[in-house]
Amino acid sequence: MASGSLAGQRNRFARWRGLAPVGVLVLLCVVITVISPNFLSFSNLVRLLSGAAIPLVLVMGATFVILMGSIDLSVEGVVALAAVITSMLVLNDFTSADLGLLAVPVAVVAGGCIGFVNGFVHVRLKIPSFMATLGFGFAGVGVATAILGGFTVRIADRGFRELALGRFLDVPFSVWLAGMAVLVAWVIQERTRLGRWVYAIGTDEVTAKHAGVPVERTRILVFTLAGLFYGLGGALAAAQLGQGHALMGTGRLFTTITAVVVGGTALSGGVGSVLNSVIGVGIVIVLTNGMVLMGIPPYVQQGVQGLMIIVAVALALDRSRLVVVK
Amino acid sequence: MIHKRLGPIARRQLLRRDLLKGAAGFAGAGVLAGTFPRLAAAQSGEWTLAISMRSLANPYHATFAAGGEAYAESVGAPFEVLITEGNSEKGMADIRALLARTGGKLVLNVDPNDSPDARVIVEECQRAGAYVVTQWNKPDDLHPWDFDPNYVAHMSFDGVPTAQAVAEALFEAMGGEGGIVALGGILSNVPAIERKIGLDNAIAATNGKVQLLDFQPADWNETRAFEIMQAWLTRFGDDIKGVFAANDGMAIGALEALRQEGKAGAVPVTGIDGIEAALFAIEAGEMAGTVAWDPNWTGGIGLALGHAVALGEIDIAAEPHEHREFYGTGIVVTPANLAEYRAMDAALDFGDFWGKSPGQIQYRG
Repeated sequence: MASGSLAGQRNRFARWRGLAPVGVLVLLCVVITVISPNFLSFSNLVRLLSGAAIPLVLVMGATFVILMGSIDLSVEGVVALAAVITSMLVLNDFTSADLGLLAVPVAVVAGGCIGFVNGFVHVRLKIPSFMATLGFGFAGVGVATAILGGFTVRIADRGFRELALGRFLDVPFSVWLAGMAVLVAWVIQERTRLGRWVYAIGTDEVTAKHAGVPVERTRILVFTLAGLFYGLGGALAAAQLGQGHALMGTGRLFTTITAVVVGGTALSGGVGSVLNSVIGVGIVIVLTNGMVLMGIPPYVQQGVQGLMIIVAVALALDRSRLVVVK
Repeated sequence: MIHKRLGPIARRQLLRRDLLKGAAGFAGAGVLAGTFPRLAAAQSGEWTLAISMRSLANPYHATFAAGGEAYAESVGAPFEVLITEGNSEKGMADIRALLARTGGKLVLNVDPNDSPDARVIVEECQRAGAYVVTQWNKPDDLHPWDFDPNYVAHMSFDGVPTAQAVAEALFEAMGGEGGIVALGGILSNVPAIERKIGLDNAIAATNGKVQLLDFQPADWNETRAFEIMQAWLTRFGDDIKGVFAANDGMAIGALEALRQEGKAGAVPVTGIDGIEAALFAIEAGEMAGTVAWDPNWTGGIGLALGHAVALGEIDIAAEPHEHREFYGTGIVVTPANLAEYRAMDAALDFGDFWGKSPGQIQYRG
C-alpha cells in the first residue's frame, strides 16, 4: 500500500518533470518582464530570435549525438571551418569566388564530411567520441588557420548577408532557416527509423544490438548529421558577422552543450528530444539577454548562469533510473 | 607556399593587404622551416633569427611574425617561427631545441606564453650565448640589465593612454556628449584592466557630458559582444550614442548587431588592435576609430635590435634603462588619418630602434 502510493507519487512527478524546462523558461520570462518590461517588446523578441538562430541549428545536431549517449566536442572547429569556407566562396576580399547562396550547401556538406570522419573514427577505431570529436574539432580550427594564416576574410556579398540581415514578416531569414532545421530534426526524430534507433542505442546499446539495430551505421550517420547542422551554423555565423576566420566558433561549444542539457536531454543518453533542446536554447538566450536588461553586475552573471544550469538539470533529471552517478 | 597559391586569385591591391598575404604564405613556410633544420646556417656562422609566439590564428600574431620575416629577409638571415599553441612547455622546449641546433647563434624575439616563462627563456638564452627580446609578458622584477648583454630588451604597450585616446576619438564622433555602452575583455587580463582605466579616465575628463550607461565584459569575443549589444538596444534604445569596445573583434560584433537593426554607421563604434576588418569599417564610415599596435614593427624591430647587439653594432649594456624596457606606440586610427596610417604601414624602418617609443615601461602596483 505504502509502496503503491510512493510509485504513484513518482509517476505524477515524472509527468511534471518533463515540463520542468518549460516552467524554468516561463518563470525566467516572468521575472525578467517584471523587472524590465521592455523584455516582451516586439523588437526584443525579434532580437532574441535572431540571437537564437545559430544556437538552434547547432543544438539540433548535438541533441542526436547526446541522445545516443555520446558527446560531440567538434562544434567550434566545424563552425569555424564552415564559416571560413563560406566566406571564401561568396563575394569576398580574399578569393575571386562569387558563388552567392550556393556557398551555403557547400559549407553544410563540408560540415557533414567532418561529422562523417568523427563518426567513422569513433566507431571503426573505437576511440571514445569525446576524444575523436575533440581531436577533429582542433583539426578544424587548425585547417582554418592554415588556409588563412591567421587573417580574416571580409564578406562583400550583400545578397548572402541577407540571410542574417534580410527579413520576412519582420523576422530575419536566419530565424526561418533555423525553424526549418528544427522541423527537419523533429521529423527525423519522430518519423524515421534513424530517430528510433538513436533512442534505442541511447537507452541500452547492447539490447539494441541484439534487437538488430545497426548500431555502428547509426552512430556514423548521427555524427554526419550533426556535422551537417554545424556546417549550416557556420554558414549562418559568416552571414551574421560578415566575415570568416579561424576563431569564429569560439564559445559555441559551451552554449550548445548547455542548451541541450538544460533543455532536459540527459547526457547519459536515451532521454530527451529536439524540442527539449529548443526550450534549452530559449533558456540560455533569454538568460543572457535578461541579465543585461536587468542590469545584473557582470561579476554575478556567470554565477547565475552556473546556478541556472544546476537548477534546470536537477529539476529535469529522472533519478528513478539512475543506478550509479559518475 | 600558400601565398603563391592564393596570390593569383587575390584581388585587392592594397599595400597592407599584401603584407598580410605574405604572412599567410609564411605560415606554411614556417612549418617547413621547423621541419627541416637549417644546418647550413649554423655552419656558416650566421645568426639565425627567430620569433616565438602563441598562435598563427589571430591577426596580431600573424602580422607580428610577418614583421619579423620582413626584417630577416631584408638582411638575408635565416628565419624561424616557433608556435607555443598556448602551451608554455612546448614554447620552451622549442626554444631549447633551436638553441641547441644553432649552437646559441640565435636572436630571439619572443612573446612569452605566460609571464613566468620569460625568466626561464632569458636564462636559457644567456647560458647558450643567444640574444633575446621579450614582448608584453614578463615578471615585473625581471629586468634586461640584470642579464647583460644577452637579455637585450623588453617591449610592451601601455593600454591606459591608448584606450583613453581612442575613447576621446569616440566622444568626438558623438559630438562630445551622450550615453555610451562599453564592452570589456576578460576581467582578469591586464590589457582589459588597463583599457577600462583608460576609458574611465576619458569619461571623467568630460565632466559628466558623457555617461557610461553600462559596462559588460564580452571576453574578447565577437559573438558575445553581438548578444550583449542586442540586449543593450532593448534596454537603452536610442539613448546609446556611442559604443566603446576593448578590442576590434568585439567592436565588429557590436557593429553587426547594429547593422541588423539598420543602425550601422548611425551609432559610432570604436575598437582597439587595428585589425583589417576594423580598418575597413572605419573606411566605410561605420567605425569611428581603433588603435593599431603596429605588430609589423614590433616583430621586425625586436629582431633588428637583437641582431644589432649580436653583431656588435650596439653596446646594449651601455644603453639607458629606457632603451631596455620601452613601450611601443599605439596609433589611434580614425577616418581622418586612415590613409596616412596605411601609407606609413608599408614603409618600415628597422634602423631606428627607439624612435617610435613614448618612453620607459611603468609598473602599476
